[in-house]
Amino acid sequence: MLDSDNTLRIIHAGALERVVQKCLEHFSKQYPEYSFEFTAVGSREGAKRLLLGEEYDIIALADQALFAELLVPVLVESYFVFAADQIVLSYNCSSKGSRKITPENWPEILLKPQIRFARSNHHLDPCGYRTLMVWQLAEIFFAKPGLCSALEAAAIPYFTYPKSLDLAAALSKGQIDYAFLYSSQAKQLGLPYIALPAKINLSNPAYANFYDQAVVSVDSITPGENVIIHGRPIEFAVGIAKASKLPVLAKLFINFLMDLEGNSILEECGFIPC
Amino acid sequence: MKEDLLSKSELTIPIERSIQAELLLLLGQRPSHGYELIQRLNEADYKSGEADAATVYRNLRRMDKDGLIKSHWEIGESGPGRRLYELTLQGEESLKVWAKYLAQQKTNLEIFLQAYFRFEKSLSERQGG
Repeated sequence: MLDSDNTLRIIHAGALERVVQKCLEHFSKQYPEYSFEFTAVGSREGAKRLLLGEEYDIIALADQALFAELLVPVLVESYFVFAADQIVLSYNCSSKGSRKITPENWPEILLKPQIRFARSNHHLDPCGYRTLMVWQLAEIFFAKPGLCSALEAAAIPYFTYPKSLDLAAALSKGQIDYAFLYSSQAKQLGLPYIALPAKINLSNPAYANFYDQAVVSVDSITPGENVIIHGRPIEFAVGIAKASKLPVLAKLFINFLMDLEGNSILEECGFIPC
Repeated sequence: MKEDLLSKSELTIPIERSIQAELLLLLGQRPSHGYELIQRLNEADYKSGEADAATVYRNLRRMDKDGLIKSHWEIGESGPGRRLYELTLQGEESLKVWAKYLAQQKTNLEIFLQAYFRFEKSLSERQGG
């Protein structure tokens, strides 16, 4: 017996938009008596919306650590890691310098005065603070003191793009030359990209200790306060809101996402199913 | 063969060939989730190169589908829930086959190296004489 309310509400990381859409295309056919709503946000913003009282059944975020930091145990009881990814440097067919850019020389190319590059807002979106971590790790990896500060100063102001989805759209339209995105986003949009070294792209748990050196300060949920976030391998996670009026249906959707069909969709969309 | 091509094949071919055996052995030692397996694999004395997350998870899914390992979702006590993998009886048998195969490969390589060293010695003797 399923639940009585009839709309399943999902709030998810912008980077998961296509995954959620594709999953719902299949899943909703099995449950035609229900309707489905989904909202794409930067993941920090998504967690904050729950804290402010907005009602959702399922929360799928780009950083599993956000659950422990903001949602568990008050709003969510348990959560599951279901996908991994990495940060890449993506460009488009008209990006300046793209013929010469490599995984080694990208800092020099980006710091040229005519190049426009960007990241998403680190206060709202994990892709934004992960990009800052990549820059910090690149400073160590390439032994270039001051690299992170130079990149921050040269980049388009961080608040221009609230989430990586907005940034990917801007890159697709040619409004910028380069963007730090998830590999999955570049693949979904057919955008070319350079893969960064594994020691800095936040992809490999074997480098968890190295990634931990990167530290970013972001706005806390308490106005005027900050939270310190350390670098770690990129993992997406999903959970059910304790207040969900459709816990059975929500569980069925999560099972779908984490089982064979969901894994195929994740792979199609460029993620690594975990 | 160009140097970069040589180094690429040295790094990738053994990983693709042996990563399943390495994962089966690690899971035989104790059940683990993917994140931990990647760390254990990269810390192992016998690792043949850097094992990336995509390769490890792809091989885990393949072995799960083939019945060599089985998995279930484990709720984390203080952290996230993760898919926990463990070895099956079929996986144990497969690991035994892998061990026999690798032992045979080791013997073949030793025989090859002995032959090579004899050749190298005769070559230097000819050049010296």
